[in-house]
Amino acid sequence: MPKRLASSLSDEVLEHVFSFIQSEKDRNVVSAVCKSWYEIERWCRRKIFVGNCYAVSPEMVIRRFPQVRSIELKGKPHFTDFNLVPDGWGGYVLPWITEMAGAYPWLDEIRLKRMVVTDESLELIAKSFKDFKVLVLASCEGFSTDGLAAIAASCKNLRELDLRESEVDDSSVHWLSHFPETYTSMVSLNISCLGSGEVSFSALERLVSRCPNLRSLKLNRAVPLDKTANILRLAPQLVEFSACTYSAELRSDVFSNLAGAFSNCKELRSLSGFWDVVPDYLPAIYSVCSRLTSLNLSYATILSPDLIKLVSHCPSLQRLLVLDYIEDSGLEALASNCKDLQELRVFPSDPFDAEPNASLTEQGLVAVSLGCPKLQSVLYFCRRMSNAALVTIAQNRPNLNRFRLCIIEPNTADYLTGEPFDVGFGAIVEHCKALIRLSLSGLLTDCVFEYIGKYAKKLEMLSVAFAGDSDLGLHHVLSGCESLRKLEIRDCPFGDKALLTNAAKLETMQSLWMSSCSVSFEACKLLSQKMPRLNVEVIDERGPPDSRPENCTVDKLYIYRSVAGPRFDMPPFVWTKDEDLALRLSP
Amino acid sequence: MGRPTSSSSSIDSPNHFAFSSTASSQRDLTTDLRLGLSISIAPPFVRYLFFPIAYGTDAFTVHNQKIYIFREQWPPMKAAVAEEEHECNSSTFYVKVYMEGIPIGRKLDLLAHESYYDLIRTLEHMFHTNIIWAEAEMDRDHYEKYHVLTYEDKEGDWMMVGDVPWEMFLSAVRRLKISKC
Repeated sequence: MPKRLASSLSDEVLEHVFSFIQSEKDRNVVSAVCKSWYEIERWCRRKIFVGNCYAVSPEMVIRRFPQVRSIELKGKPHFTDFNLVPDGWGGYVLPWITEMAGAYPWLDEIRLKRMVVTDESLELIAKSFKDFKVLVLASCEGFSTDGLAAIAASCKNLRELDLRESEVDDSSVHWLSHFPETYTSMVSLNISCLGSGEVSFSALERLVSRCPNLRSLKLNRAVPLDKTANILRLAPQLVEFSACTYSAELRSDVFSNLAGAFSNCKELRSLSGFWDVVPDYLPAIYSVCSRLTSLNLSYATILSPDLIKLVSHCPSLQRLLVLDYIEDSGLEALASNCKDLQELRVFPSDPFDAEPNASLTEQGLVAVSLGCPKLQSVLYFCRRMSNAALVTIAQNRPNLNRFRLCIIEPNTADYLTGEPFDVGFGAIVEHCKALIRLSLSGLLTDCVFEYIGKYAKKLEMLSVAFAGDSDLGLHHVLSGCESLRKLEIRDCPFGDKALLTNAAKLETMQSLWMSSCSVSFEACKLLSQKMPRLNVEVIDERGPPDSRPENCTVDKLYIYRSVAGPRFDMPPFVWTKDEDLALRLSP
Repeated sequence: MGRPTSSSSSIDSPNHFAFSSTASSQRDLTTDLRLGLSISIAPPFVRYLFFPIAYGTDAFTVHNQKIYIFREQWPPMKAAVAEEEHECNSSTFYVKVYMEGIPIGRKLDLLAHESYYDLIRTLEHMFHTNIIWAEAEMDRDHYEKYHVLTYEDKEGDWMMVGDVPWEMFLSAVRRLKISKC
């Protein structure tokens, strides 16, 4: 019966039906139904996401999916953001570009995160893909403005160029001028990471004025205030804007020019930048505030009274990023004014001072959890917390799906009771059943991991630091968290036992990072031998791990599943079980 | 890939440790390993007492032991948020400014200012008040709108701000205080 049904629909009809299925997960399910569906699906899959560029090889991707138009790749582990991964670890995109240049002439979108991108890669992209439209380089490095010039010169249909948080070397080439005068397709441009020498204002203004579809523009820090107003006047259709170096003194002519420019922007929904802003200029944006859904003030040293005034003008706010200058009072104002708030991130203005720099405590977060019914995503840095507050937050907001708390000083206890935060985080995982991402901090015993293993069934990513008492903690997580994909751990007393007992679990996950823990090199070698589909990388700059005493623990460990086998581009400080030195990258 | 996968979901170490009741839902098949390696259980967690003290490290006391953590690695924030890049400044000099009645002091970079006028203007913005210093004129009828600015010098004495040349002030100042008239 099912066989008849399957063959009664022609390939074209099935392909048409599949074209409505966009999500990767759904496509994967479709391809598993039967062989013919697998075949049809693989020929019509247009979009690929590879969460770990070493989990699969470009040849394998191309072999299975011959007609891809859009690819997203991620390279280095997340803890690279916190300088825990040494330079040169890997994540090179060139092998991928080289293969795709031949196989996917119609590729039009490349999105990369934490990868090493060279000018050679960018030149190859510019040369190989005739209809190239979207280039996103998030937290990437290894390229210069020369590479950008190649993209600008060749990609006449480029719609999106986003360099967010990448490191770009200045080769002194005026790359923006390489966009030909006939080029008018830019929709989204993010050059906020570039230094002052790397952008020519006149080229920028000419580019902006000839791109009528420009919706998102994120400029770098060095654009002065009068230029900012000019650019806004050239692009009143902007939806997202980031800029502004504010000068120190309020000049009424500059102010009114800026205010006028903003008032023209009826579509503006998202603002960021605000480096060096002086509060007296803030009223210049009041005309757009009522429509703003996203505000990033995490670079702005504005104090609480001015933040409160600003926030009270933004009732439609869904996303706020801000420094702890907002204080509890500011968060209370946020809670009363911004009922649509979905995401809140509060960063520390002075993380290295033992004394607090602003009056921000757990009370602010409790207020927002109570006042903002749509709050789903939290990233909060603070210096004190209580279990009572965490329990309240969990009960107020069971719809949280991302909860990242960083109590700045490691091993800080509940300031009211002196207890660890096991109960508090336990309440979070128990009440917030949709939680997919969690970061822990403060004093924590193995108990918190028992709660996490028991309740956090939807959890996909867990970050742990300075927590736990023994291997039991890690064991609870690995054996209990069914949906776990990424686990990153630093400075915890987790060792060989939990790892080896849960070896099979590791193959169901994308990756495990452990640094400054208690894992021995012997256990790593053993794990690697028994689990051929895991790449077990010991990252240790101190020298060969087996040259040290047997009970010496490895510095850093990165384990990830892969169908591509061991990689061939490992630097000298990455150690695997393979003694074959031919596999090493020669210095 | 070529090799058959292990049929066990866990790997026994010679000192087998059975985790009780919270065992995984998979069967724990023991694997008989004779590798000729003795795998010692990792010792109780020992903190890095010997961690090299590099530039920028901070020491935290954890489990009653001092550990050293690189500033670039903790707290977990991307560099762009943690530290502002002042492209034009090559140095900074932060002092704390306390306002009477507010327990939390604010940090201020004195080297971001060129003169007393610059500093006073910033302080008036930050604290929403009018500041009295050596060269200010005060409306005596509205003294409650004014605050006096003093600084603590190297000797611990509190002095009125503005009495000495700016450069001399920079070399002597340790803290600033804003008090009611």
